[in-house]
Amino acid sequence: MNLKNLFEGTTKADRILFIVLIFLSFSGIVFMKEVLPEGKTVRIEVNGHPVYLLPVEKDRVVSVDGPEGETVIEIKNHKVRITKSPCYNKLCIHQGWIESGAIVCLPNRVVITIGNHKENPPIPPFDKGGDGGIFDIDAVTG
Amino acid sequence: MDTLVTISVVSDSRDHAEKGIDAAFSEIETLEKLTNFFSPDSEISHINRNAGISEVKVSPETLELLDKALFISKKTEGAFDITIGPVITLYDFYKKIKPEDLELKKKVSFVNYKDLLIDRNKSTVFLKKSNMLIDPGGISKGYAADKAVETLKKLGIHAGLISVAGDIKAFGLRPDGRPWRIGIRNPRIPPNPPLVKGGGGGFLDDIMATIELKDMAISTSGDYERYFILNGRRYHHLLNPKTGYPAEGCQSVSIITKEGVFTDAFASGIFILGHERGLKVLEEMGFEGVIVDSTGKIHITPQIRGKVEFKKPV
Repeated sequence: MNLKNLFEGTTKADRILFIVLIFLSFSGIVFMKEVLPEGKTVRIEVNGHPVYLLPVEKDRVVSVDGPEGETVIEIKNHKVRITKSPCYNKLCIHQGWIESGAIVCLPNRVVITIGNHKENPPIPPFDKGGDGGIFDIDAVTG
Repeated sequence: MDTLVTISVVSDSRDHAEKGIDAAFSEIETLEKLTNFFSPDSEISHINRNAGISEVKVSPETLELLDKALFISKKTEGAFDITIGPVITLYDFYKKIKPEDLELKKKVSFVNYKDLLIDRNKSTVFLKKSNMLIDPGGISKGYAADKAVETLKKLGIHAGLISVAGDIKAFGLRPDGRPWRIGIRNPRIPPNPPLVKGGGGGFLDDIMATIELKDMAISTSGDYERYFILNGRRYHHLLNPKTGYPAEGCQSVSIITKEGVFTDAFASGIFILGHERGLKVLEEMGFEGVIVDSTGKIHITPQIRGKVEFKKPV
């Protein structure tokens, strides 16, 4: 069935209605993508402690200190990867980018998950970046 | 200063920010060279070597630091005493060594800020008795934070955060237009993983409260910083200058006021005074403070209520 057959026997009003419906469904998709948040977050845990809960939409690089040393995590284009790790086998780095699921670095006890994390971390850490997020502390005295 | 220093500045230009940060670090290094207790070339060591012998001409910075130290000693009734050197050197908090009582008693007799004589006109300092030692460890970090901020301001930087270990000075506002937000560590929850970044790393479970600061300094002295436990007793570095033993009235003391030199030294002094006398001194000075006493109870100055946010209601 080509386009000509499709429109055979339809009135002008039918065709206008058809175009309006197509427009509405596309604008609905745009609306959903632009207006409603995706809600996906990147949760980074060190030694069982939640360290960061970050929106996956915002590109950034964060570093955390595990028992073995520094692990560097990159969030870009809604994906996450580990770019630096003190672990001996570097399996976490070789895993590359993930869009869902988890990266686990056992030697440095770093666990990164992407998902719809609903929890407010019971023990929220702070974000050295001071970007106004929920973990927003600039320094610690004591 | 045997510690980590972090400097953050707010600027439109990376070059400007980097120049400011370099200049601020350089200022801190200069002060370090002048006041390092352990370096034989520092002015402080020079004064110490000449204790009971002769007065020593010093730089305006060292003179200012010692002058402020004496002022704080007077205000804290000698609880903060920069001549604590002979006693503090008897302890080794890493090797868990505490001095014998007799030795301690002997050395305490050399601790007295009244025997530190400053001649402002001649820019000289003299320790009256031989065996006296100035240890600026309880004041030099806050002073360094003040001087670093001064340097940044001279270079046209209007906002930033300097952290010399736990001595923090915040000036101007953050890039998001909000005051700088500082966490106050819980004295009885060890950091996990350790706080390794000199006031810049850690987790909120180690933090008992947060406070927003603009153009203010904050310092905390706690019995958990350098300590060891021996026969059930906690030996920490906040020593009572009159006895030579660690003060027992508090777990931690945080002080907030404009000058880092005051927050640093008053935090130690008020820790030693205890919360009752400490709160009176804070009121007299017009400073703010958060004191955790030896039972874990939190005492705060009236003006700070509402400005400091505790994880648990106080």
